[in-house]
Amino acid sequence: MIQFLHRLLWFVILLLVQVLILNHLHIDGYGTPVLFIYYIFMLNAETPRISVMLQAFCLGLCVDIFSNTPGMNASACTLLAFVRRGLLASQVDRDINEDYEPGIRIMGFWPFSRYIFIGSILYVLVWQTIDTFSFFRIGELVFKILASTATTMLCILCVDTIRRKK
Amino acid sequence: MRNLLNFLLKYNYWLLFIILEVFSLVLLFRFNSYQGSAFFTSANYVSGILYEGVSEITSYFGLHTLNRDLVQRNVKLELEVERLSQALKEYTKDTTVISQMRRDVLQDYKVFSARVVNNSLNRTDNYITINRGSSDGVLPEMGVIGGNGVVGIVYHTSSHFAVVLPVLNSKSSISCKIHRTDYFGLLRWDGGDSQYAWVKDVPRHSEFTLGDTVVTSGHSSVFPEGIPVGVVDDMSDSHDGLSYLLKVRLFTDFARLNDVCVISSKGQKEQAGLEDSISIK
Repeated sequence: MIQFLHRLLWFVILLLVQVLILNHLHIDGYGTPVLFIYYIFMLNAETPRISVMLQAFCLGLCVDIFSNTPGMNASACTLLAFVRRGLLASQVDRDINEDYEPGIRIMGFWPFSRYIFIGSILYVLVWQTIDTFSFFRIGELVFKILASTATTMLCILCVDTIRRKK
Repeated sequence: MRNLLNFLLKYNYWLLFIILEVFSLVLLFRFNSYQGSAFFTSANYVSGILYEGVSEITSYFGLHTLNRDLVQRNVKLELEVERLSQALKEYTKDTTVISQMRRDVLQDYKVFSARVVNNSLNRTDNYITINRGSSDGVLPEMGVIGGNGVVGIVYHTSSHFAVVLPVLNSKSSISCKIHRTDYFGLLRWDGGDSQYAWVKDVPRHSEFTLGDTVVTSGHSSVFPEGIPVGVVDDMSDSHDGLSYLLKVRLFTDFARLNDVCVISSKGQKEQAGLEDSISIK
């Protein structure tokens, strides 16, 4: 029960921070940090795949509702949740069924950064491609993807560091 | 059959993955249709209330510059009205005509003031949420203007909020014309800088110079004639070479949009119905 409330609190806080603050941030007109996918990254490693996907889908849909892009973030989130387990397994030597929350302290800085990097670039790639819906301005698209990934990673690493210090 | 069931049970997450993806893509493409419900947009009740609360706070930040803009514009308009009514008085020698005209202008249109509660700028399809909805009389297809010029057209409405399709959306297309010479074209935007849009399909033989003002044409019944849009900044040939493509610097600063007006014209329904009946045949 406590665990559930804890999750719910994270869900709501990340959602609000994303839609009220971060969605209006455009660093140099391009990079928008997508901090809310931290929720998907930090779910317990033993959480069943189906549960991760459903939670990710709901989170994505909520963000979509606020930003008038129904389906856009939801599909990218579902994809991220789908590949999460494989991604995690490729970066950690532990047994995949072990009970732990992915984070800097448990995984180490570099494995966790690689995990976040691959996950967020995948997410931003899908999200920005759907948004632009053409490869007409490929340079601008690539720049947007790189800028968003960089700011997203920075935000997630900061939040994770602060969270573990408590 | 049992093998199939076993297969589905073993790879049930694949199935769920496909279902969720299909559902999101259906949502994504359904949103393009006008009949889509307002539930999955920021016009729904919860997100509307939340955005309204936040905008209540943030709307104080830009008040100083906003006020200065309004005062400047007010002075300019007052001088213009004064000059025009002087000219009219000399021309008709009758003062009752002016008050009659003033009444006529407001008779054809209803104006609702509204506040922008959510706004985006640098996606390909941007949307604006305003705090007036169908219970205030705001309906889809009504025009929205800001203090300086055209903003967009109402897209979805819920009972207390509405989503506006602004100029900064690839689906937006507003009929406008060059103020001085009356040649008209379509205002489009295809991503990039939020200060510039394009006027397409301006005929080859039209006359204009850089710096000409572009205003709404009044052909579409969404906007009355003569609402300012922007200034011609640059020109080029269209891709097929049959018309001009004008780069227009927009008067409306979408990054600082706060208070807007929704206009509904009385003959709008009749004109739209008439035009639809022709296109069906």
